[in-house]
Amino acid sequence: MWRIGLVGTGTMGSVHAHAYSHMEDAKVVGIVDIDEVAGTELANRYGAVAYSSLEALLAAQEVDVIDVCVPTPWHREYVEKAATAKKHVICEKPLARTLEDAQAMMDACERNGVRLFVGHVVRFFPEYQMAHDAVAAGNLGQIGVVRTMRGGQYPTAWQDWYASPAMSGTLLVDMVIHDFDFLRWCFGDVSRVYAKSMLGRDINRLDHAFVSLRFNSGVIGHVEGTWAYPSGFHTELEIAGQGGLIAHKSDDAVPVHLELRAEQGQGQGVMVPDSPMLKNPYQLELEHFIECLTDGKEARVTPLDAYRALEIGLAALESVQTGQVVELGGVKE
Amino acid sequence: MKVGILSFAHGHAHSYAKSVLALSTRGVQLVAIADDDVARGKAAANQYSCGFYRDYQELLKTDVEAVIVCSENARHAEMVVAAAEAGKHVLCEKPIATTQKDALRMIRACKENGVILQIAFPVRFSRPIARLKEMVDERKLGRIVAVRGTNRGQNPGGWFIDNALSGGGAVMDHTVHVIDVMRWILKSEVREVYAEVDTHFTSIPTDDCGQLVLEFENGVFASHDPSWSRPASYPTWGDVTLEVVGTSGVTNVNAFAQHFDYFGQGPRPYSHQFWGDDMDYLLIRNFVDVVEGKSAPLITGVDGLRALEVALAAYESGRTHKPVPVHRAVLE
Ligand SMILES: NC(=O)c1ccc[n+]([C@@H]2O[C@H](COP(=O)([O-])OP(=O)(O)OC[C@H]3O[C@@H](n4cnc5c(N)ncnc54)[C@H](O)[C@@H]3O)[C@@H](O)[C@H]2O)c1
Repeated sequence: MWRIGLVGTGTMGSVHAHAYSHMEDAKVVGIVDIDEVAGTELANRYGAVAYSSLEALLAAQEVDVIDVCVPTPWHREYVEKAATAKKHVICEKPLARTLEDAQAMMDACERNGVRLFVGHVVRFFPEYQMAHDAVAAGNLGQIGVVRTMRGGQYPTAWQDWYASPAMSGTLLVDMVIHDFDFLRWCFGDVSRVYAKSMLGRDINRLDHAFVSLRFNSGVIGHVEGTWAYPSGFHTELEIAGQGGLIAHKSDDAVPVHLELRAEQGQGQGVMVPDSPMLKNPYQLELEHFIECLTDGKEARVTPLDAYRALEIGLAALESVQTGQVVELGGVKE
Repeated sequence: MKVGILSFAHGHAHSYAKSVLALSTRGVQLVAIADDDVARGKAAANQYSCGFYRDYQELLKTDVEAVIVCSENARHAEMVVAAAEAGKHVLCEKPIATTQKDALRMIRACKENGVILQIAFPVRFSRPIARLKEMVDERKLGRIVAVRGTNRGQNPGGWFIDNALSGGGAVMDHTVHVIDVMRWILKSEVREVYAEVDTHFTSIPTDDCGQLVLEFENGVFASHDPSWSRPASYPTWGDVTLEVVGTSGVTNVNAFAQHFDYFGQGPRPYSHQFWGDDMDYLLIRNFVDVVEGKSAPLITGVDGLRALEVALAAYESGRTHKPVPVHRAVLE
């Protein structure tokens, strides 16, 4: 049984805690959040103990893995503390807000001989995994153009940290990094990035971005990200090759639609899209990480993959800010 | 009103010919077709029961009031200038020309001879696109901040992939429609273009895919995919879609969503059967209205020029790997 210490109990912390509760060989034993009410509530729900700091958790509990689900700028602090305490680390994406932080985290884990897993969960979404496998098997022949879209309404979170470019890096570093990682997985490293977004355009709590990518393999990519929709969450993926075309739209793949009549005096009714699966992608991801710990095998997504995805996200952000093309040609192994 | 068609090099000529015939109750007549590809021209003349000329100059000597030019892109200028000099009103297939110089020459000739020059941008007549324009005009979406377009299709082959005649491949062929619609809706010109341009789907001597990122003078940014990236099995020829992001909401428009799914047999067993309004017919009807003085010109030669300038900037950016300012010609 792998004993997990979970840090951060917001959206992702809750999703991870829920996933662990369905897993056979992992269990959340301790939970840390600076918001003690939130920490205690989640701990009570999953039969764990809440602590006010990671130090307190480490002093009180025997844990094997620290799972870091705090806002991105605090990833480094917790990952370094966990590594120093010789605990394996699972960290939400993006690995960090800066490449410097990311490198320091990778170094700290390596130095202390602990594993580092980064939550690039899109590799565990069955539709994306299947698309990747079709590309890898050569079913689509030589690939020409790939397009992705991801987003929905503006996220609400602890102290509105997503609205701070300094903390989140905007949707470019925070959200479409999922697509950057997925596309790198399929098509290899990116050589050129050019992007436009709403950053600096003086519009509050709305964001939208277009990113043009050129891969070393010649593939042309277009990544769209949005936090400008009034509601919902949508993803799209299209891979066009000489031998065929894969097209996916999350809105078209909803197997169960539910529309509820508004209760009297309660305003509008609600629409709830539901895509039931035995295991959600977060559980598949965490199970894979735990399996890697058990078997010692390499993870589907390595720390270097996470670093490279961050590089693309930061390049897109830089392109938005400078109006220039960012060359990633000098990718070093 | 008597109409002639100059060349059937572009397949849209058939759709326009049918549209002219559909206006016969209004007294519109397809009088003759000119085509230096005699077999092609004669077949079309037979199909539409009209006269045939091998030399378009001969057709221009007749009493037609207007001509529709559907020659290869690089030959638009020669035919449009000749038509203008013969005093004929002109509807010219897009793109207006393959060079800025030719486009200016066409605009000038039509102006000097007092004839109408309209560019065939039928997408403006798509009812879903026109509804989008209304929504934006009524400020339903608030202030527009971003627009995403696609106009994907399939490699048409033939002269379309011969740069000397087409001026370029997918980026030339499939950029201008959507850029025209974006300009029309935003009431602003494209300031800067960045583009990736390549040949990935076939081994043809011109580009078959690309990806554009644009910024308009009014600060709206946009992207557009003009790739010939639809496989042979795709249920229709391609698409025209626009996503418009505003401060009050977002809209997604698919100009060809009004179709049903058809499952048949043969090489394309699954296909889309479009049942929406025919934008080509509405384009021709508008052209006739304009020639008859019933409507102000909606699409001018300058609209054609501005869209062409964006495509040319995309090619420049594709070569230099840098964002490129759109070099807009100053009009006299
Ligand atoms: N994989 C995905 O699909 C996905 C989705 C959303 C977010 N994320 C990532 O997960 C991370 C967390 O995002 P979220 O949306 O869950 O954030 P959130 O704001 O919902 O939750 C953050 C939690 O961390 C706590 N916290 C803040 N600072 C802390 C600190 N210094 N020490 C301890 N606790 C602290 C807050 O009290 C809050 O409970 C981010 O890195 C984000 O990018 C990943």
